[in-house]
Amino acid sequence: MALASSVIALAAGVPLGVLLGSYSGRSKRALVVINRTLMGLPPVVVGLVCYMLFSGVGPLRHLRLLYTVTGMVIAQVILLIPLITGSLEAHVSTVAPDIRETALGLGLSRTRILLLLLNESQYQLVSAYLLGLGRAFAEVGAVSMVGGAIAYKTNVMTTAIMNYTNMGAFTTALALGIILLAISLVLNAGVALLHWRLER
Amino acid sequence: MKLPPITKTYGSRGVLDLPALELEDGVIHAVIGANGSGKSTLARILAGVLVPDGGAVPRTGRVGYMPQRSYPFRMSVLRNLRLTGAGRDRAMAQLEAFGLAGLARQNAKGLSGGEAARLALARLLMEEYSLLILDEPTAAMDVAATLLAEELLLQYQARTGCTVILVTHSLTQARRLAGQVLFLRDGHLAERGEAGELLRHPRCAETRAFLDFYAL
Repeated sequence: MALASSVIALAAGVPLGVLLGSYSGRSKRALVVINRTLMGLPPVVVGLVCYMLFSGVGPLRHLRLLYTVTGMVIAQVILLIPLITGSLEAHVSTVAPDIRETALGLGLSRTRILLLLLNESQYQLVSAYLLGLGRAFAEVGAVSMVGGAIAYKTNVMTTAIMNYTNMGAFTTALALGIILLAISLVLNAGVALLHWRLER
Repeated sequence: MKLPPITKTYGSRGVLDLPALELEDGVIHAVIGANGSGKSTLARILAGVLVPDGGAVPRTGRVGYMPQRSYPFRMSVLRNLRLTGAGRDRAMAQLEAFGLAGLARQNAKGLSGGEAARLALARLLMEEYSLLILDEPTAAMDVAATLLAEELLLQYQARTGCTVILVTHSLTQARRLAGQVLFLRDGHLAERGEAGELLRHPRCAETRAFLDFYAL
């Protein structure tokens, strides 16, 4: 589930981040502020909104997404897109003016300039993806509300930790927590390794 | 080549206010002046990357532009030269001419400032333009690299017959390369004329003070 939501969020967030980063119009500041606000979106709020949309009285009830993995993925994608967009935007904003000016001076097309911007953002792309994946792994508020933590169906590690804690099974909860931490360590080590290789 | 009057303001601050100008075709025009005199703004406007107050300056023919901070793209030096579609052999010959052949496979991100500047000029001169705009192309180069770049620029200009706008802080470079000099001060054209004459016998007191300061 975390893989699916992070990949979908990456596919949407990268173009948005590159476009926002390279955009220099008057409304850029407002768009950046809106995105940064969405980056801090509380997961339970996203969970609540998705719950209301997908529940029996919601406008999207006919999609039958409540308490499904698909519904959980949708909630996570909503949370992750602003994070990935913001991560790319911050990088692209710093390099875009020089890249754009150099590329225009060479007579390159707009499409080519966007591809060059993507090429210059290799590290940030991976970093943004892993940031999203890490957030998806660790997220609990939205997935528990939309997924319902149903055993063998929508129960993920974070919701399982919550359930085990409520049951007083602290050892199991702690073990799952350590596994989550280990996953985070591996992801961050991967980013560091990639950064080192790209910088060589 | 005729240029309309050009003005550029940022908020209430005017940075450029030039009258209509006529540039001699096939001549190198050095644009000199102190920091903040509007040289780079003029270069960026002529290159089409900055829009002046009165709307974009009409462009005739192909314009090539090397900005002050030309970007070495994250790819091999050779691929940087092939960005505009040039063949491998031609790109290698260009690298050879600019003394960069040994770095062809290296990632351009790892180049020194002087090497990156040479790469930027080599990359730009892969194509032919009717107007070539160079914003301090040799500022990061050492003396040997500067002389090489100047020689290659002169060869390129002789071969293509293009008009060149050369923004430079080096008065000796202006003397070596330029046929015409435009002296900007506080966004205004203080003086223009034939390079040898203007640099030896400036008519304008501001130009004279500027040249005296640089002890030419």
